[in-house]
Amino acid sequence: MSLRAPGFPRAGLGILLAVALAYGLVIGVRALYGWDPVLDGDAVLQVALIAAPFGFFIGFGLFDYWFRWASGAPTVPEEHSSHGARSWKDYFRVNTDHKVIGIQYVVTSFFFLLVGGMFAMLVRAELAQPGMQFVNPNAYNGLFSVHASILIFLFIIPVFAGFANYVLPLMIGAPDMAFPRLNALSYWMLPVAGIMMLASFLAPGGSFSTGWTAYAPLSTEAPIGQVFFTIGVQFAGASSIATALNFLVTIITMRAPGMSFFRMPLLVWANFSTSLLVVIATPFIAASQFFVLLERALGFNFFEVTRGGDVLMYQHVFWFYSHPAVYIMMLPGFGIISEILAVKSRKPIFGYRMMAFSLLAIVVLGFTVWAHHMFVSGMQEWIRVPMMITTAVIAVPTGIKIFSWLATLWKGVLHLDTPMLFALGFVTMFTLGGISGVMLAMIPFTIHVSDTYFIVAHIHYVLFGGSLFTIFAGAYYWFPKMTGRMYDERLGKLHFWTTFVGFNLTFAPMHLIGIEGMPRRVADYAQEFAGWNLFISIASFVVGLSTLVFVYNMVVSWRAGIRAPANPWKALTLEWQVSSPPPIFNFDTIPTVVGGPYEYGVPGAVHGVFKGAEVKTTATPAGAAPVGD
Amino acid sequence: MVVGGVVASAVGIALALAIDWFPTLASTQAGKVHTLYDVLLIASVPIFVLVLTVVIGAVIQFRMRPGQEDQDGPPIHGNTLLEVVWTAVPALLILGLCAYSYVVLRDIEEAPASERQEMTIGVTGQQFAWTFTYPKEIAGGEKPLSTTELVLPVDRPVKFDIQAKDVIHDFWVPEFSVKLDAVPGITTSYRITPDRRGTYPVVCAELCGLGHSVMRSRVRVVTPDEFDAWLQEQSQPAVPEGADESQLAAAGKQVFAGSAGCGACHTLADAGTNGQIGPDLDEVLKGVSEDKIRTDIVDPEAEIAEGYGAGVMPTNFEQTLSASELDALVAYLKEATQ
Amino acid sequence: MEAGALTLPHGGGHDEHHGPPPANRSSRVDAPTLGMLLFIISEIMVFGAFFTAYFFIRVVQGAEWPAEGTHLPQAIAGVNTAILLSSSLTMHWTVMAAKADNRAGMRAGIFTTALLGFTFLFIQINEYVHIGFSPSDSAQGSIFYGLTGLHGAHVFIGLMLLCFVAIRVFRGHFSSAHHRGLEIPGIYWHFVDIMWVVVFTTVYIL
Ligand code: HEA
Ligand code: HEA
Ligand code: HEC
Ligand code: CUA
Ligand SMILES: [Cu+2]
Repeated sequence: MSLRAPGFPRAGLGILLAVALAYGLVIGVRALYGWDPVLDGDAVLQVALIAAPFGFFIGFGLFDYWFRWASGAPTVPEEHSSHGARSWKDYFRVNTDHKVIGIQYVVTSFFFLLVGGMFAMLVRAELAQPGMQFVNPNAYNGLFSVHASILIFLFIIPVFAGFANYVLPLMIGAPDMAFPRLNALSYWMLPVAGIMMLASFLAPGGSFSTGWTAYAPLSTEAPIGQVFFTIGVQFAGASSIATALNFLVTIITMRAPGMSFFRMPLLVWANFSTSLLVVIATPFIAASQFFVLLERALGFNFFEVTRGGDVLMYQHVFWFYSHPAVYIMMLPGFGIISEILAVKSRKPIFGYRMMAFSLLAIVVLGFTVWAHHMFVSGMQEWIRVPMMITTAVIAVPTGIKIFSWLATLWKGVLHLDTPMLFALGFVTMFTLGGISGVMLAMIPFTIHVSDTYFIVAHIHYVLFGGSLFTIFAGAYYWFPKMTGRMYDERLGKLHFWTTFVGFNLTFAPMHLIGIEGMPRRVADYAQEFAGWNLFISIASFVVGLSTLVFVYNMVVSWRAGIRAPANPWKALTLEWQVSSPPPIFNFDTIPTVVGGPYEYGVPGAVHGVFKGAEVKTTATPAGAAPVGD
Repeated sequence: MVVGGVVASAVGIALALAIDWFPTLASTQAGKVHTLYDVLLIASVPIFVLVLTVVIGAVIQFRMRPGQEDQDGPPIHGNTLLEVVWTAVPALLILGLCAYSYVVLRDIEEAPASERQEMTIGVTGQQFAWTFTYPKEIAGGEKPLSTTELVLPVDRPVKFDIQAKDVIHDFWVPEFSVKLDAVPGITTSYRITPDRRGTYPVVCAELCGLGHSVMRSRVRVVTPDEFDAWLQEQSQPAVPEGADESQLAAAGKQVFAGSAGCGACHTLADAGTNGQIGPDLDEVLKGVSEDKIRTDIVDPEAEIAEGYGAGVMPTNFEQTLSASELDALVAYLKEATQ
Repeated sequence: MEAGALTLPHGGGHDEHHGPPPANRSSRVDAPTLGMLLFIISEIMVFGAFFTAYFFIRVVQGAEWPAEGTHLPQAIAGVNTAILLSSSLTMHWTVMAAKADNRAGMRAGIFTTALLGFTFLFIQINEYVHIGFSPSDSAQGSIFYGLTGLHGAHVFIGLMLLCFVAIRVFRGHFSSAHHRGLEIPGIYWHFVDIMWVVVFTTVYIL
């Protein structure tokens, strides 16, 4: 154990120093201004929450290189000492290998899925009966707030970044991401944000309990637990911006020769679009939380009405990020589905160009609809109708994608294994969630159902039936590539069916009780909803248990699954043309791309060729011969 | 498969329309929203059925059969006509739905033909209680009438002017199908015309803190005569002059469990309430003087019960309860907890 | 669970002695420059959010600007604007000097740029001290401090970058063949300056 070398001991020291700094700063400033008392616990906590992560990053060694750069020392060429993993310990240090970072991301995010799901289980346990059973109302509000925040900021968004981190450089024929050190920093910000959000339960007054939306002025007046969200989101947000920037630069500058934009796999397109959204939109949530923080910590008055503040401004700024954020949580999933459907139907993607353009259309339209979350907020009335139209119009590009996937299936040879089942489950369930979204765009109807369980149903149909299904599909699909082992197909199918059935039984009745008048975010509800709520709670435990099947399958198969061949799915995209798992620097030589990524059924078609490797152009039906192992 | 799809759509629409989705429709607005919803269902069920049918159809027809392991599908890359159709048709459908929604929106927000007929009621949200204010022209007294229960005459248009004192709340009566946030600093408003007598819940639909789920009240829609009688009654003291102890306490119990809604937050065995947000009154009020109880109610911030946060118990009971109601409440609490 | 039993990716077996193959360059822009430009887009959006707050309070709420009884020192801020803008010019000269292999020019350039930047920051802080209202007085005050403070923080970050670069300039790391490390912080500095013009116009002039 050395306190001088980067690592956990030095990181602990860094945190300690940061906390000490927080005390010093607060006491110093307060003494200087003569404020009483000199020691203000809340102030120290807020400063410490900002400073401690930096103490950790510095101690952990994430900034070592940049410090060297800043001090004017010669910048050495990358010596790859922090690249790759030889033992499990290498996953717990600063690592610049995009494959290691990808796995760090995915495993961490799935951990947070379990945590966030656990909170959902507690929510459902409390809601199984009217009245209060297990938790008090404040704790209940904390539960669903942390549930949603964890699942959004620490599961859905980062897990997509994780998959893309792993496969995207491989797919475009790059040896790594453009900025490997920034990539490592992006990853390590996540556990920090997650731990911070969970630690809020230890704060006096309980965890943050204002929903994942944290509307002012509720959030500016809430107990100190709120700042764990306010600051945690900054780190999660900074992490996504840094990753998005990295993806964009990697995609633009590091594609293999021959990989024109219209030869990129759709997953790459999807992450390209998502990254644009992130870079442009995420600063808004950062700012919205800066406002809250400034108001709480320094007495600013952005939302204080008696001093001329504007309460609705928070919502405009928040939703200007958080609507695009729902596409940040969906577009990478669209990419995963396109990969899987083409491979598993053994057919080219139907309408490839429209698939790419519709992604860009969603990006653009996504910025024009934020106020559809504010139809009952009391904002200016004239904004509503234009927003209704733009919102509903998003159904058109999304419809193009759904119909193109259907056409891709048509006449294919469908391999109905687990990734494919989840992909098909996604196509149907997301359509249902999307349609309820279009209903929500219709103002008179939203006025009735806004803030009810109908919204909760919509949320879960698009986020669970949509995003989470694509994530499961992707996890199974790339499992062989990432671990070098095959997963257990029987357990996979069991997982799919229990999840699919449990999911529908849980969330479909919510449409009904929502329209009937059950508001969301309530710990207690009217007697008339008792029957359905009990039903929903029981069904939700089925979903919970089904998730355990998934976890079991992943852990056991990773340890003892049968060895995976390089290309078990006979896919054409480049990540399958190298060994499973891929060699440390991905490729011995950068491949040359000679055709589209989905030319299944075209005799002799290949997507990329490796110099030196013999190119078979003969009658192999599809899937280039595996190179590598 | 086409036939299957059409049949499934028809069955799906029939089923969707058969489900009793809405609560009682108690305003003219609610009826229109319900119709809009039916139209939305008729438009969306076929889309969902279409997707579902194609997926199931493809799974049945094109799933890989033994011996096909190495086969590929035909390399179809696209079809312009098809792509134009599935862009244009949803676009038209969407625009149609938007146009219809716009019409419904104008309908439900339209002011009544004669403004004099319309009654304007103030609605104030505060953590965690609603206050309704009838202007003095309607209340018939010297000053506006404030209540915790909303009473409306049937078939008379009303406009709610909604305000919030602390954080955002949302004023919603599910049976009326209209809701709107109460936002600090601005007055928002909407109109409805109740068209069905009955008692319905008033719900706060925007997360406003730990008492959010109990921030409820009720609305009674009554005949115009009953409404006038109620107004009359409000101007009378709730408890008859010179009532004896037990009459007073009985009236106080009414206030506690009914109009003031104390039971939502407090447990009190005698009144049969089991709220969990505030202290258990059976326990904490033992041996407490009437004066202390009164201050606890009208000025809860004066002394915060141990283990509870400030700003939870509403501070407006002095305004919303009449003096006699307050007397009765205090007398009742004294009696019930000793 | 014995973690070692997991098959770890890249677990050896492959030839690990060589480095990665050089990536293909698929764009004429180089990666760090592109990264900086994208980062600047993000930064513009942060400012955008603060301008949204400004818009809501000043335009939607129709608040008096500046708040009643307060006064914004336009003249001093105007001078300060000139100072910051001239630092953009000197930054440009520094890069030109690097391209011309003019060492002395480079040193003088980076030194004046940083000096002008620090002057700007100093005047700004001095303005805070004497302006006579605080962020907690009114929403207008909050917006004023919010926007100028956010910008001030950016000037500070920019200055840090300039200092790092200055060390290299004085050590002679940059030349006509190799000046990207100077150019990219320069782009950031120009962004900070241009942003100030927008902030200055909306906050002090309009
Ligand atoms: C993955 C996340 C995700 C996605 C993709 C979407 C997609 C959509 N959402 Fe959703 N939404 C959320 C996550 C998401 N949403 C969340 C989390 C909230 C709640 C936030 C909170 O308050 O906590 C919310 C809330 C929300 C509201 C606010 C409700 C309220 O609070 O009052 C609205 C209103 O317009 C809305 C609309 C839409 C629409 C129109 C789409 C469209 O993009 C859907 C488009 C897709 C389809 C329509 C299906 C496929 C299309 C076809 C098959 C073509 C033919 C179809 C037609 C012609 C209809 N959403
Ligand atoms: C990102 C996606 C996401 C996901 C995946 C989920 C998953 C689930 N959600 Fe959540 N939810 C949201 C996003 C998500 N949710 C959002 C954004 C909100 C709005 C919050 C707000 O209002 O601010 C919300 C709100 C929300 C509510 C409304 C709360 C309220 O308004 O009062 C409810 C209530 O039922 C709910 C339930 C569930 C359930 C049962 C699951 C299940 O599917 C979870 C299944 C997973 C697991 C269970 C984990 C694995 C299992 C274990 C760890 C073992 C333990 C198992 C047992 C004990 C059986 N969610
Ligand atoms: C929304 C929740 C809520 C409602 C409604 C509510 N209270 Fe309370 N009440 C609280 C809380 C929380 C406290 C403890 C904090 C405090 O003392 O202010 C409290 C404290 C009290 C106390 C003081 C208890 C003590 O320990 O001294 C009394 C008495 C009381 N309430 C009576 C009432 C009565 C009578 C009503 C109805 C007219 C009522 N409350 C309505 C939440 C509520
Ligand atoms: Cu008031 Cu919720
Ligand atoms: Cu949205």
